[in-house]
Amino acid sequence: MSEADALLPPNVGWALLAAFSLLWIGLGVYWGRRNKSFEDHALAGRNIGLALGTATAAATWITSNTTMLAPQFALQLGVWGMLAYSTASFGLLLFAPMAGRIRALMPHGYTSGDFFRLRYGRGAWGIFLVFTLFYSLTWLVSMAMAGGILLNALSGIPYAWGMTVILGVCVAYTMRGGLAAVIGTDFIQSLIIIVGIVIVGFAVLSHVSIAEIHANLSAERPALLDMLFPAAIMAIFNNLLFGLGEVFHNNVWWSRAFAYRDGVGGKAFALGGLVWFPVLIAAGFIALASGALNVAVPASDMVGPLVVAQVLGEAGAVAIFVIVFCSLASSIDSLLAATSDLLTEDIYRRMFRPAATPARLKSMAQYVTLALGVFTWAVCLPRIGTLASVLFFAGPLVGAMIWPIVTGLYWRRANSAGAVGGMLLGAGAGLACYFAIGFYVGALVATAVSMVWVLACARLSKSRFDWAKLKETA
Amino acid sequence: MTFSTGFLGILIYGSLVWCAISAIGLSAFLVKDLVRGEVW
Repeated sequence: MSEADALLPPNVGWALLAAFSLLWIGLGVYWGRRNKSFEDHALAGRNIGLALGTATAAATWITSNTTMLAPQFALQLGVWGMLAYSTASFGLLLFAPMAGRIRALMPHGYTSGDFFRLRYGRGAWGIFLVFTLFYSLTWLVSMAMAGGILLNALSGIPYAWGMTVILGVCVAYTMRGGLAAVIGTDFIQSLIIIVGIVIVGFAVLSHVSIAEIHANLSAERPALLDMLFPAAIMAIFNNLLFGLGEVFHNNVWWSRAFAYRDGVGGKAFALGGLVWFPVLIAAGFIALASGALNVAVPASDMVGPLVVAQVLGEAGAVAIFVIVFCSLASSIDSLLAATSDLLTEDIYRRMFRPAATPARLKSMAQYVTLALGVFTWAVCLPRIGTLASVLFFAGPLVGAMIWPIVTGLYWRRANSAGAVGGMLLGAGAGLACYFAIGFYVGALVATAVSMVWVLACARLSKSRFDWAKLKETA
Repeated sequence: MTFSTGFLGILIYGSLVWCAISAIGLSAFLVKDLVRGEVW
């Protein structure tokens, strides 16, 4: 996008980018001073309280997709579209009881990979690592790419520079401060995002009433108000299952379950889900107001910023820029930290250096974070386009991991054959349906097939798992 | 069957107020944790 088409002058964009970059890096360096070992770096000393725990659960789930895609969803799928996207909060709500159990069963655990290795053995662990690394790297690359594209669209900052700065800043403070820096900045970012959305929402409503929005939609786009909009109702189930799979398996969430103080995890995830639930509706309704406000929308994925900038002028564009920047940073830093912990703990330590010292593991995690940043930057630089379709491709993979995780945490009779078969058969069937039917059935079919296999294997199993095996100390 | 103006109003204003309460709640949790020395 050219500078003339952008919502903000580039110098304003650069000034905002510089100010927030300095703030995040400064905080990362400050909070990183107390990290002495890998446990401090990767899990913030396993002592996170309720306030930071709640905020980081919500903030990590608020990505640029949340703030940018919510209005697009509302514009395409109407009221049901906003509600469908909100069901992703169920992932956090349902993970809440699991977080408490994870902490109790694995008081010395580091990653979700530790769970698969100890619970199901090396075969299931290997499959899990392939699936989760594919998903995590795809998510990371798509976020960094979205960062460059959005900063360019909002302020005219060239794509390569915007992507490089946002990725570089996140790598710098995550490397230096580890999970403590990620969670600390998440708290500030979550408040900025939520307060920004509230201010922007009420400001838009001061220019147009709900009655005017409703009247315009009834006349121009009645399908968006339809209570029986089939595509939107299908989207509810797909989003729900995709969200469950993402949260249940990914080390982004497991690392937090390990990092929260005893007794905090369940409450923090439940409250995080409740904090997240209304954000989509509050951010998404702005798109429904575009018709009543006579805002031309040339590209549906930019509807939110276009409406806000047209109604509120440069102040609105600044607010959107800050909200988007915080949304991107809160997800990119979490992905960098969690993926680097997974590679350090599950690959470096468990496969090559079981005797590595805590200090050595900490510096390895920092190098891995840097390497992940460089890898992501190199993939993003050519601007190959959107990775949204690749992310949806991961839907069957994450859907197939739901049942091995849930049964493995609660049932002693859940076994390796069930986990390995469930993941492979579920992912295979889900991918086949993804190509044969469409993206919206991939996660659904994968979850269903995996469920049947995992439950059948558990039913026929004569073995009973000893929970004490999960309490591995080193 | 379509969603009514009243429902749309409750949904939108409700979500904005819910967000505002969330922000206040998070700040209150932080103050409480700071007072107890339980931030991290």
